[in-house]
Amino acid sequence: MAAVDLAPAEIQALQVLTIVVFAPFVSGGISHLEARLQGRRGPRILQPYYDLAKLFRKETLLPNDAGWVFVVGPVLAFVCYLVVPMLIPVLTDYPLPLGYMGDILGGGFILGLAGCSVAVAAAETGGPYAQLGSSRAMTFGALIEPSILFVTFTVALITATDLPYAEAAVARASLSQVVRPAHLLAALAFFLVVLNDTGRIPVETHSGTLEFGMIDEARTLEHSGPLLALLQWGSAMKQLILYVILLNVFVAPWGLAGTTSLGAVLLAIPVFLAKAFAVGAVFAVIDNSFSKLRLFKITEFMAAAFLLAILAVLVLYLGSG
Amino acid sequence: MGWDLLVITIAPFVVSLVCWWAPVALGRALTLASGLLSLGLALGLVTARTTTAAAGWLRVDALSVVFLVAVTFLYAATSIFAIGYVRPGGDGTVTTRYNRRFFAGLNLFAWAMAMAPLVNGLALLWVAIEVTTVVSALLVAIDGTDGATEAAWKYVLIASMGLGIALLATVVMYYAGSSVFGAVHELFYPKLLGSAARFPPEVVRLSFVLAVLGYGTKMGLVPVHTWLPDAHSEAPTPISALLSGSLLAVSFYAILRFYQIAQRAIGPTFPREVLLAFGLVSLAVAALYLARQRDMKRLLAYSSIEHMGILAIGMSFSAPIAVVGVLLHVLAHAAAKGTAFFGAGSMLRKFGTKDMTRLKGGVGALPFSGPMLVLAVLGLCAMPPFGMFRSEFLIVSGGLADRHDALVAVLVVLVLLATLGLTWFSTQTMLSPTAEGVLRGETSLWIVGSMVVGLVALAVLGVHPPGQLSDLLRRAAHELGSGA
Amino acid sequence: MVPLLAATAPPPVPSSFSGGAEAIAVLVLLSEFAMLRAPLSRSQVRLYAFQSLAVTALAFFVAATQHVPELYALAGFSFLLKVVFVPGIVLRLLKDARVDLVASNRLGVATMVLLAIALSAFAFFVVGRLPVRSHSLPTPALGLAAAVILVAFLLVMLRSDVVSQAVGFFSLENGVSVASLVVAAGLPLIVEVAFLFDLLVAVVVFGVLMRVHHGRTQSLSTDVLDRLKG
Repeated sequence: MAAVDLAPAEIQALQVLTIVVFAPFVSGGISHLEARLQGRRGPRILQPYYDLAKLFRKETLLPNDAGWVFVVGPVLAFVCYLVVPMLIPVLTDYPLPLGYMGDILGGGFILGLAGCSVAVAAAETGGPYAQLGSSRAMTFGALIEPSILFVTFTVALITATDLPYAEAAVARASLSQVVRPAHLLAALAFFLVVLNDTGRIPVETHSGTLEFGMIDEARTLEHSGPLLALLQWGSAMKQLILYVILLNVFVAPWGLAGTTSLGAVLLAIPVFLAKAFAVGAVFAVIDNSFSKLRLFKITEFMAAAFLLAILAVLVLYLGSG
Repeated sequence: MGWDLLVITIAPFVVSLVCWWAPVALGRALTLASGLLSLGLALGLVTARTTTAAAGWLRVDALSVVFLVAVTFLYAATSIFAIGYVRPGGDGTVTTRYNRRFFAGLNLFAWAMAMAPLVNGLALLWVAIEVTTVVSALLVAIDGTDGATEAAWKYVLIASMGLGIALLATVVMYYAGSSVFGAVHELFYPKLLGSAARFPPEVVRLSFVLAVLGYGTKMGLVPVHTWLPDAHSEAPTPISALLSGSLLAVSFYAILRFYQIAQRAIGPTFPREVLLAFGLVSLAVAALYLARQRDMKRLLAYSSIEHMGILAIGMSFSAPIAVVGVLLHVLAHAAAKGTAFFGAGSMLRKFGTKDMTRLKGGVGALPFSGPMLVLAVLGLCAMPPFGMFRSEFLIVSGGLADRHDALVAVLVVLVLLATLGLTWFSTQTMLSPTAEGVLRGETSLWIVGSMVVGLVALAVLGVHPPGQLSDLLRRAAHELGSGA
Repeated sequence: MVPLLAATAPPPVPSSFSGGAEAIAVLVLLSEFAMLRAPLSRSQVRLYAFQSLAVTALAFFVAATQHVPELYALAGFSFLLKVVFVPGIVLRLLKDARVDLVASNRLGVATMVLLAIALSAFAFFVVGRLPVRSHSLPTPALGLAAAVILVAFLLVMLRSDVVSQAVGFFSLENGVSVASLVVAAGLPLIVEVAFLFDLLVAVVVFGVLMRVHHGRTQSLSTDVLDRLKG
């Protein structure tokens, strides 16, 4: 069988497409699993797609005081989520041309910009809960930032670069790289960061309806129609992007396409989805086994993530662990 | 050779077991016998040269003998005192059970303290001192009052943490040794001392600092002294005497062992500076706290911190005469502080309180132990003709010979300040008129006897120390590397 | 401080074996942190048991790689003592005392953890400057041990209940054990046994005093221990 080779640009596009297309799928799968764990029948796995389709058909209602930021925010965030998959190893284990466009920090900044634009858009409305949500999201975002930075430092110290591809390649190179404490600690710290950034227990109940406990969820309360659809889609994409980084950079950088052939790249998609579901299942189990922290106790969670991240740097920097 | 070491190793331990089971009277008699026997054997070692026993695990040189004499002297004197102090009847707290526990604990405590200078090697030294902690913590708690429980908890916690650091120091020193001896060695002193010059200096330095911090906790060096006043004041008085006179000395001995190795490995400057810093702070803090004490036994406890500070400062002078003074100070402190605590115990038995605002006219009420307590306190203030005058004089002249003039001035001023607190005590509580209704008379002749023994020893040390003893001190100072 | 885009070569990769050993040592430190913040006395004691288990694992590791047969016996003994016996005693005490929750933090949890992080960093830097090379365990484990010791001090100082303080002391001893495995694996057996025996005695004394304390005050808090001062 003649192998059909893909151009790097095509693979790059395919990476973005994978995220865009399958993000709602993964979200739906996790919700389904969660429901099952709780003994409910749960929504269909494809439910998020139906929701999105319905929302796109509805009209957009703007609050009285909302300005242009209210509209631009969700769009900008969505665009950001389209950019990040170009920088990270979604499907291939070799760097793609645009992968050099930005390092981990660059990706982090773009994700931060997305979060910020959503928050600003939410704050624009003057709705109390939306504002509460944005202020909380920004506060906790700032608190988790040091952990992200120190995870980045760890990666930089291990690989002497801070490109996600390089870290994944190093981890793939030998078992020694995976069991070294710095790697384990950084991976664990990043796991906690993902817990926080995807709005999961113990930080937030992502499916809750109680506004007082909300953080990320509260930000979308004022949006409707296609804008809400963009926000929901974007948040699903963000989740999947974070899974990509967690899986393909830290925990399980295996099963990626090693060549440019069409078959290998296409095969990498189901493998990746399987991994994403596996990690999603872990999150679902955590969601069901722990209770949400009180808002003022969330700093303890942040402290734990920070501890792990900084220990990773210490162990590495001072002891080449 | 070495049977005398084995006897000291075994006798108090066996007596301790016997006390747990035997009738009270037998236990008391055996305690006294064991105390006197140990003291006799220790005095017999004064003239002996370096001796080892038990396959090298026991070893005494001149330095250990100095501390062994301090420990066993106080063991003997305390066993005399305890017979008079711990008596059935009276307030009803002293039951047969209490008696058994107390005397078993007393012997075990003395045994552990005697083991510390007897054993060979830093590892067993640590073990012995840790045993002293656990035994004495139980003894501090034995009265079962709220204060005793609190003091015991603080003591066992702080001292154990300190000894954890001391263990780390031992481990680090082991590492330093293994760079010369290979992976397996026993931390015996002669080997360590012989090869210390080839140890990695940074490692030895770390080990020494950790040792001063760790054992310094038990020795009562500020700022790791916080358990000391509580434990000394709340423990039964015989135990306070042992804690203050022997236990602190034994901890100092452990530091000296590290000092010995450190100065061969990294030269004397750094260890001296460390000791000087701790010593000055201890002396200053103790002198200030002495002035505001209202509890008789706490006052004596702070006086112990003061004298430990003097010991540390004395070690920081390089003149051999200062080191001789330090070692003499150890002995004199054991005698003086023991006697003072015995006197305090006599007061406590007479008046039933340690609160100095309510103690009046001690000399009037106690015809013998009262004046002797005043004399002991004067001894603690380094008044002639007592031993501490001689030892502090040696330390000061060593400092002057070293051209540490400013330092010596500070030392003398702080000691004077401490003297103020102590003399205030004697004038206010001892020499004031006796209150109405207090009967004149001693509570026990045993107490008086123990104080006589202590005072005589203190006076002998001051007036004319026996030639063999002076010789021993010189040899010990030489072993500490200052007699060359 | 830390180069972001370092021009230097990456540090050497530890072998899987020593990487694994070091990861266990990291677990020792992490459980110390967990003890620091654990709100339940019971979970603190269990964490201590877990930490001791990790230390025992390290001892077995050293015994296997260094071919020091007596270390097996020692590891077995310390397993019995520190994983089974000591936690057992304290848990029983807790059961008898019927006290579960001891809210004894003197500072907020996040503050405590940040303080502990600062102390650990200090420990790492200090130990990193020492010219210590270990033959039995990866050398960074020494920094971890020093960090455990300092955090144990923090635990004793910042928690005011007897169980935390006792557990703090026991875990300090665990830290010293790790340090001695790193730099003094060849310590003679008799000395090691003496150390362990001492720990045993200390545990008994701690147990007795905890019981006395609880008997007198009907609580495990040490806040009432403020009569003696000055």
